[in-house]
Amino acid sequence: MNVLKRNNVTISGAGKQAMVFVHGFGCDQRMWRLVTPAFQESHQVVLLDLVGAGQSDLQAYDPERYNSLAAHADDILAVLRELGLYGAIFVGHSVGCIIGVLAAIKEPARFEKLVLVAPSPRYINDDKYTGGFEPADIEELLEAMDNNYLGWSGSITPVIMGNPDRPELTDELNQSFCSSDPTIARHFARVTFLSDNRADLPHLHTPTLILQCAQDIIAPLAVGYYMHQQIPNSELLVLDESGHCPHLSAPQATIGAIYHFLGLVPTPAV
Amino acid sequence: MNPQEDEQLPALDLRLTQENLEDLYEHAPCGYCSCLPDGTLVKLNQTLLGWLGYTREELVASQCLQQLLTVGGRLHYETHCAPLLLLVNQVREISYTLRRKDGSTLPVLMNAVLLRDSDGQPLVVRVTLFDITERRKYEQELIRAKGQAEERREQLARANEQLTLQNGQLTRINAELDSFVYTASHDLRQPIDNMVGLFAELQHTATFHDPEASSMMSMFEGALQQILSTIAGLTEVVQQQRQLEQVPLEVVELQSFAEEIIRSLQPQAAELEATFSLDFSTVPSLRMARPSLHSMLYNLLSNALKYAQPGRKPHIKVNTALQEGMALLRVHDNGRGIDLERHGRELFQLFRRFHPEVVGLGMGLYLVNRLVHQAGGRIEVESIVGQGTTFCIYLPV
Repeated sequence: MNVLKRNNVTISGAGKQAMVFVHGFGCDQRMWRLVTPAFQESHQVVLLDLVGAGQSDLQAYDPERYNSLAAHADDILAVLRELGLYGAIFVGHSVGCIIGVLAAIKEPARFEKLVLVAPSPRYINDDKYTGGFEPADIEELLEAMDNNYLGWSGSITPVIMGNPDRPELTDELNQSFCSSDPTIARHFARVTFLSDNRADLPHLHTPTLILQCAQDIIAPLAVGYYMHQQIPNSELLVLDESGHCPHLSAPQATIGAIYHFLGLVPTPAV
Repeated sequence: MNPQEDEQLPALDLRLTQENLEDLYEHAPCGYCSCLPDGTLVKLNQTLLGWLGYTREELVASQCLQQLLTVGGRLHYETHCAPLLLLVNQVREISYTLRRKDGSTLPVLMNAVLLRDSDGQPLVVRVTLFDITERRKYEQELIRAKGQAEERREQLARANEQLTLQNGQLTRINAELDSFVYTASHDLRQPIDNMVGLFAELQHTATFHDPEASSMMSMFEGALQQILSTIAGLTEVVQQQRQLEQVPLEVVELQSFAEEIIRSLQPQAAELEATFSLDFSTVPSLRMARPSLHSMLYNLLSNALKYAQPGRKPHIKVNTALQEGMALLRVHDNGRGIDLERHGRELFQLFRRFHPEVVGLGMGLYLVNRLVHQAGGRIEVESIVGQGTTFCIYLPV
């Protein structure tokens, strides 16, 4: 199996050290497009789609295998192995963060630093833990997805997703941007929002930056504090931003925070 | 535009051209709102406020669009719509549910565009919302039906699996039965042969004083002969089946083939003054295992003679045709006929007999049916008691 093809891995950049970007639930690697240009000079930029998302090999999505985030973490490690990468910088968003955390616990040598954008180890409230959601809310999300896939399922096909170069498909592509096979998306939503990885956090020893937005309903501030408290070698930076995607809504602030964490000197061009 | 054309236009009600834009915005038949890029509401029209049950003051600058949605919708908005707006500046036909001030819900379809300032920075999101209460009910029906269809499909798949399993079991049991019949007939053969020998010896040596004895002796001999032919028949059924599994297919010319079978039946045919008419012009040949076809045709023709209507000369027609992409081999007689309503279901079963007054074992049709099925075909019967019977054998071409 070609893991680079399976995860639709794209590589660019002039630098030596690899920087691996992993998207979260609901989108794909194109989410990083406002951020990655800032690292083309200094790093080798490795982008990928989680299996089931974007232009990954949808055939490879076996619901049984991908019933936990650990399978996605194994995929990331397989890609790093294939590329012979050690000491990489990992940048994850949302559920992609936890996938990176699991990978770094399993094979620490492959990661030098982790940047976690809007992470959450557990979305559902628990005794003395505020994740932000009740189980019924997650059911409601699945229902919202069902209502929306009603119209999409016919038009979103891998054929369209697989032909980004054909201009006549651009319109459909805009529509299909950040959407995937409905059955897979539904399953991934369930795995994402019902997962509980709190117990894994103390096992992570890689230096980690937690980037949290001040107003984010998906990953509330309390979750950011919890992450920081549980991950031994971590720092927390709260961006004065709303929403769950600071790399899209506040790319400059996001880039600045990562630069600072990596000890890079901002160039005037950035 | 020349004055003539101008005159042809119907007179417009001028009030329509002076549509008040403010009023159009406020009372349009859809909900309008504008938000900051983070969703903070800055402007809503009266239609939307009416739907929600909020006053403008309760929402503007203090609430955001996402907060008007159900929690599930909010999750969807943050993970799907918000990034999509920032990436491609628009989302279309997103299905959400609004939560009114009184807690009740309203299903809507949302379109939104993101406007940017001259530096390309996100400035404002314009949103239109359409009430789809009735449509959503219909969609829920569709989703429910789809779920049901999915469930049925799974049930069917399970049933199919079960059937395949049972089919395999039956095939195995069938093979075991064949082998049982073969063994039984083989094992019975020896003692019966002994009995025949002993009986012959007995006839020679023993003398009986009872005057009934001689007729009892001949009855006993008759019974022995019957057992012998039954066992021979059983062995034939099983052996034929086993042999056929190895026989290659060949092209059999039907005219000469049928004539040869009729020749072998000549003693009976001549006695009954039977006549035959053959017509294989439509399908002159069949690709089959020769012994198998021989057995089918021989059994059907010999049956046609055997079950001739007493006092009527048998006339037997054999012909072929093409039907539904299969070759049809038809054997028609003017014999006694079979009461299909009574016996139809048992017709092809082993040892079933319907004309006790005619000597027979009840194996011919059983064998024919098995051979036809083995060749991938099927057999059908039509019959009228006292008039005749037609057997139709459909075989793959």
